[in-house]
Amino acid sequence: MILRTPPPRKRRADSQPPEDVNNNNAQSPSSNRELLVYEDLPVPEYSHDHSIPITSDQMLCTYQCRQMVKSEFFDALSSAEKQVHDYQSKFGALNEDLSNAEQELAAAKGREQMLQEQLRKEVDFSQEQLRKQIHSFSELESLQQLKPKKASLLEEKLSILSESIDREKNRLQNELLQMRSESKLSVSRISADLERMECKATNAEKESALLREQLEELKKRLDECMQEKFELEKKSSIRSPEVPSQDTNLLLKHLQEELRNYESEVREARKLKASHEDIELLKEKLYEEKSRRERTELDLLKLSDLQLNVKRLEDELCTWKSVVREIPGVSSADDILPKFAALQKEVVDGMMRAGDAQARMKEIQVSLDAAILDKQNAETEAAMAKERAESYKAEIKQLESVLGLITEERDRLKDVVKELKERTNLDGGTESVSGTIVQELEASLAKKENYVTELENSLLEKKEINSRQQNEIKLLNERLANEARRVKMLEREGDRLRSEISLLESKLGHGDFSSANTKVLRMVNTLAVDNEAKQTIEALQNELQKQRKSCRLLKNLKNSHVSKMDLSKPVQCGFLLYSFSDAGTHVDSYIAGKIKQLKEQIATLEKREERYKTVFAERISVFRRACCELFGYKIVMDDHQRPDGIPVTRFTLHSIYALSDDEKLQFEYESGNANIVVNDYTSQPEISRQVDIFIRKMNSIPAFTANLTVESFNKRTLS
Amino acid sequence: MASKTATKDIITLRGSAAIVSEFFGYAANSILYNRGVYPEESFARVKKYGLPMLLTQDEGVKSFISNLTSQLSEWLEAGKLQRVVLVIMSKATGEVLERWNFSIETDSEVVEKGVHGQRLCSPFTWIESDPKLIANPQMVKLHSFDTKIHKVDTLVSYKNDEWDEE
Repeated sequence: MILRTPPPRKRRADSQPPEDVNNNNAQSPSSNRELLVYEDLPVPEYSHDHSIPITSDQMLCTYQCRQMVKSEFFDALSSAEKQVHDYQSKFGALNEDLSNAEQELAAAKGREQMLQEQLRKEVDFSQEQLRKQIHSFSELESLQQLKPKKASLLEEKLSILSESIDREKNRLQNELLQMRSESKLSVSRISADLERMECKATNAEKESALLREQLEELKKRLDECMQEKFELEKKSSIRSPEVPSQDTNLLLKHLQEELRNYESEVREARKLKASHEDIELLKEKLYEEKSRRERTELDLLKLSDLQLNVKRLEDELCTWKSVVREIPGVSSADDILPKFAALQKEVVDGMMRAGDAQARMKEIQVSLDAAILDKQNAETEAAMAKERAESYKAEIKQLESVLGLITEERDRLKDVVKELKERTNLDGGTESVSGTIVQELEASLAKKENYVTELENSLLEKKEINSRQQNEIKLLNERLANEARRVKMLEREGDRLRSEISLLESKLGHGDFSSANTKVLRMVNTLAVDNEAKQTIEALQNELQKQRKSCRLLKNLKNSHVSKMDLSKPVQCGFLLYSFSDAGTHVDSYIAGKIKQLKEQIATLEKREERYKTVFAERISVFRRACCELFGYKIVMDDHQRPDGIPVTRFTLHSIYALSDDEKLQFEYESGNANIVVNDYTSQPEISRQVDIFIRKMNSIPAFTANLTVESFNKRTLS
Repeated sequence: MASKTATKDIITLRGSAAIVSEFFGYAANSILYNRGVYPEESFARVKKYGLPMLLTQDEGVKSFISNLTSQLSEWLEAGKLQRVVLVIMSKATGEVLERWNFSIETDSEVVEKGVHGQRLCSPFTWIESDPKLIANPQMVKLHSFDTKIHKVDTLVSYKNDEWDEE
């Protein structure tokens, strides 16, 4: 332990006295700690009072020895400098290695990030593809959904078309039947006409036969007349050929003319008859032709309609055929419905398969994500392994280089040692010195070896640190993946919750409620009730007014007629008086009756009121006594008027444990709030303190009264 | 300072209750006009909220609505009101045709500060009723408004007409 005493104050101001400040001396905490400067003075001045004289001769060394020491020192210095330089270079190399390692780590991290980005891009791409596929699936689903709709539409169209076709068929059949019937009718008509014509022809033949017979008869008669005439002429010529008779000639001529006339008439008649017959024939023909023309016109119109229908039917048939052709596996209209059913089943199966495929796709997606993550992890592990291998290689190289250097040094030192040994062999006197030099060199070697081991240890430590960092990086990556998965789950939960919220909001908006904590009320006094009440009130009021008017009129009549009564005419007036008094007595009796009723009602109401009062008084006294028993206070309630004129209810509380009658609490109660009134009792210090705590601060009168009751009870029981 | 904020909150609660109950009054009048419950000529035009509003001049309806709004204001101050529903029913059949639903969310902190020991009971002019719900309604959500103390959401449910489905 070296005691260091401060020197006498040379460098400080003379006014301040030297203080003994020593690191090992304890100082009082209250003393002023002044700063003193220590100065290392040469040993002789710090020595104690007694000094030992040292001879200078003993301290002197030989020049040689000094030179040797110097040379040795310089050699050692140079070697040490070299070593330092080497170690510095090694340190620099190690630093460079460390920086390289850091750069490699950063590069690895960058590569990792790039890989991650690449993988993310790949994942995004795969997700986009998946989305496209899902979209295409959804489109397929929509198409498949549309298919049944189309199928249903087509079915409807089919049914409509079939119905229309049936209707057309029926109509056409009906038309056909009509046509047939018409044709039959026309045929029958024509046959009837034919028969008529035949009859006419037969009649005409018969007439002609008759006429021929008549003609033959006439001819016969003519011949007979001619014969008679010839005979007569002959006779006349025989009798008197001399006397030619003009009369007979005239007769003859006349007869001949008549004959000729008759013949011409007959001919004209025949002609007329023939012409009549022709006319009738022509008329019939004309009629037939007209009817035929009308029929053909109607048929033409019908033909055009039929042609249109036929065209329409042909078009429908074509569409049907095209539909049948489009739908595969259908050869006729009957096959369409089962085919549609089969198609619907196929659509349903297809949708189920699509659902399954979607589920499988999702599973594949999940497995793909997992595989991508695994791949990522494997790649990172591979990269890390590579880095580790490279780092190990680099370390090995370093160690080899270090080893080479160390061997070189060792060789050099061995050479130095050899040289020294040779020197020692040459110079025998300096053995001890060389021994020391060898020892020193060995010591320096040992130091170097220690340094090398230290460097190796530091390398190992750094390797461990690197491996730990890589492990941490791995763990962080795993955590990142887990967090990403959790984020996805949370997003899904969020969507589900949002859908639930929207569903609940719709339910809430609809009007759902929990009957446990919600009451549903509606106003009783609806407008209808109000209106009815108003109407009844108005009606009653009108009746009341009418009744009043009638009463007044009756009274006025009664009064006026009684006053105008003339005593001189007692009979009439008496009669009148009787009649009016009757009315008056009627009114009076009515009014008296009413008054009696009202008085009775009043009496009953008063009795009821008294009964209520007694009952109320009983109940209130029971209540007051119970309150007093339960809470320990006699409560007196009265109405009071404040100085500002506002009426207020005052409650005076007297505790049953009170020691005197003056111990009363007064409260003013107004619209639901009770306030304490300060009086002599409450202005006492103890009571006022309690009032401050319980009423002013805690705003609780029951707590104050309960506390007061307990304290009074304690006082009573203790006293 | 606490008492100052308490008084400020009480005033705001009262003011908010007054605003919301006034809104219900005007809303009821608008619904009665727009849905044709009462004839157009029985309504008069006034200016409110910067818009021309129609108010009924029928004394009975006026008194009914004013009684209603005063009671609603009391309940809003107490924070006891969850929802107000105006139901339009057929007079002949008693069938519910439309249900105008105003649901109310109240800031409970402000209500707790403002209400101390207020004992509320339903007055005798109000009786319990069934909720008059519509089965399978069509619902339309309308605008909501917020006074920072009371939040009112409006939703109308009406009977699903068969013609609409076609």
